[in-house]
Amino acid sequence: MPPDIRVHGLVKHYVVPERGAGLRASLRSVWRRRRRLVRAVDGISFEVAPGEIVGFLGPNGAGKTTSLKVLSGLLHPTHGRVDVLGFTPWDRRADFLARITLIMGQRQQLFWDLPAGDSFQVNKAVFGIDDAVFRRTVGLLTELLELDGLLTKPVRQLSLGERMKVELAAGLLHGPRVLFLDEPTIGLDVTMQQRIRAFVARYNAETGATVLLTSHYMADVKALAQRVIVIDRGRLLYDGALHGLAERYAPHKTITVHLEQPVDPAELRGLGEIVSQEGAQVTVRTRKDEAPAVTGQLLARLPVADLSVEDPPLEEVIEQVFRGNRT
Amino acid sequence: MTFRLGLAGPLAMLRAEMADMLQYRVVVFLYALWGFIHPIVYMAVWSAVAGEGDVGGLRQSDFTAYYLTFMIVSHLTVAIEIYTFGPMIQYGRLSPHLLRPMHPVWVAAARNLSYKAVAVLLLIPIWTALFLVLRPEFGATPASIALFMLSLAGAVLLSFLAGTGFALLAFWTTRSGSSWEIWMGLTFLLGGQVAPVELLPGVMGQLAAALPMRYTLGFPIEVLLNRLPPGEVALGLALQAGWVAAAAVIVALVWRAGIRHYEAVGA
Repeated sequence: MPPDIRVHGLVKHYVVPERGAGLRASLRSVWRRRRRLVRAVDGISFEVAPGEIVGFLGPNGAGKTTSLKVLSGLLHPTHGRVDVLGFTPWDRRADFLARITLIMGQRQQLFWDLPAGDSFQVNKAVFGIDDAVFRRTVGLLTELLELDGLLTKPVRQLSLGERMKVELAAGLLHGPRVLFLDEPTIGLDVTMQQRIRAFVARYNAETGATVLLTSHYMADVKALAQRVIVIDRGRLLYDGALHGLAERYAPHKTITVHLEQPVDPAELRGLGEIVSQEGAQVTVRTRKDEAPAVTGQLLARLPVADLSVEDPPLEEVIEQVFRGNRT
Repeated sequence: MTFRLGLAGPLAMLRAEMADMLQYRVVVFLYALWGFIHPIVYMAVWSAVAGEGDVGGLRQSDFTAYYLTFMIVSHLTVAIEIYTFGPMIQYGRLSPHLLRPMHPVWVAAARNLSYKAVAVLLLIPIWTALFLVLRPEFGATPASIALFMLSLAGAVLLSFLAGTGFALLAFWTTRSGSSWEIWMGLTFLLGGQVAPVELLPGVMGQLAAALPMRYTLGFPIEVLLNRLPPGEVALGLALQAGWVAAAAVIVALVWRAGIRHYEAVGA
């Protein structure tokens, strides 16, 4: 089966005006405007297979959102080829728009002063959704996202989490095959984040939709994506399995041991870097290649009740990736 | 770029925009009421100038009829796109509309029509009261009313296209409103606003007849009040149609260029 998304050598550069602070700089800019070239996306290539969920990671300003905007047809690229479901996105063919959605956590498509149901009706008409299909879809989305009572309240009176759920539903009414989700859980509490995650996973499982997801919450990525694409400063740093990220970029492992009773800190000497020792729990960080030996020593020297060896948290690994890219 | 044809989407958008506009009915009414103040001032000034006689063949009752019609025509032909569509582009609110298979200009059109429809409901009682107090002599005939409707439709379309064209400059500049002020200034002078076009002297009158501003405002009023001989009505309608076609082409070209330029700023 051909990939749903093909990106080859995508480049998006912006020219932005620039000036220093103060009146003098302001006056100078009247005569001579300084401009700066921003390389938002600088030659990235990747493919996404049908039904795949891919986490698109990077720090602020890495080029994630710009990439999603090009992929959904909002922006024209500077260079490069993009093919989504066989369409060139920025041609914005009706058949293309009917098969994709872009949901941005900080942007909204709903009428602010009207109940969301009115915006749903607009989408129904614009996308030409059949009455029966519309009723069934709204019913399903209401059940999955717990929208009961939310569609009749003016959008401005919904909480942030409620609004995000309704936005998500509005973006899915037409049954898109490709979902571009840009920070879909931003600003939401933990419960709401989990609910949105569970919904995206179920939508993907039931419809086979392809999902490209950006998020600053690693929990989103861990819960949903088997594969991640990491970009920074518009360049692709990593494209592969989520677990492979730690293997490649994290040089150490974290070993946590629960002891039968607390021990003197002196007894831990030579067992790697002691990250913490709280009562009977000790956390040790050690180089990856030394982890088996350190584990053996821990088991031999200490009264271990329980032991776990883990990769460092994903946040730490990602930070390591970016730090490596910038030094 | 292709978008689905059919009016179901635009009509649904119009219904939603109407509902949205009704939420702001008081503000809408105040904006529209302000549009009634100008013609009352012009009417008072020209009536005073005319006195018991006339100015260029126009008597007090002619000015009354002209500016009473002006109130309705100017409301129906006002272009609000610079304040609605322009900021959508500038602040990135265009994006959700670009993701739907319907041209975003329909959103601007729906907002335009809903503003006028909501406000006109509120303005009709005021206009009727003015009509009853001032008792103008319209001199309209069934033929002039029919031609008025035609020229009014052309004026609504032309002003919408002009407003949209200027609003599209927001793809390049954050101050598209400044260029719109030039258009508004020319409309004030040459569009039949500060004075009926037939009173404009020499070159100004010729300019007014040739430029598009008159065909967004003064021309339908002149047609309704039977101020033009049949030949000039026909020529005016042809010129208006020509300007509508030219404006449509310009808007399409500017859109095509602008959308390539739509960039990150908040989009």
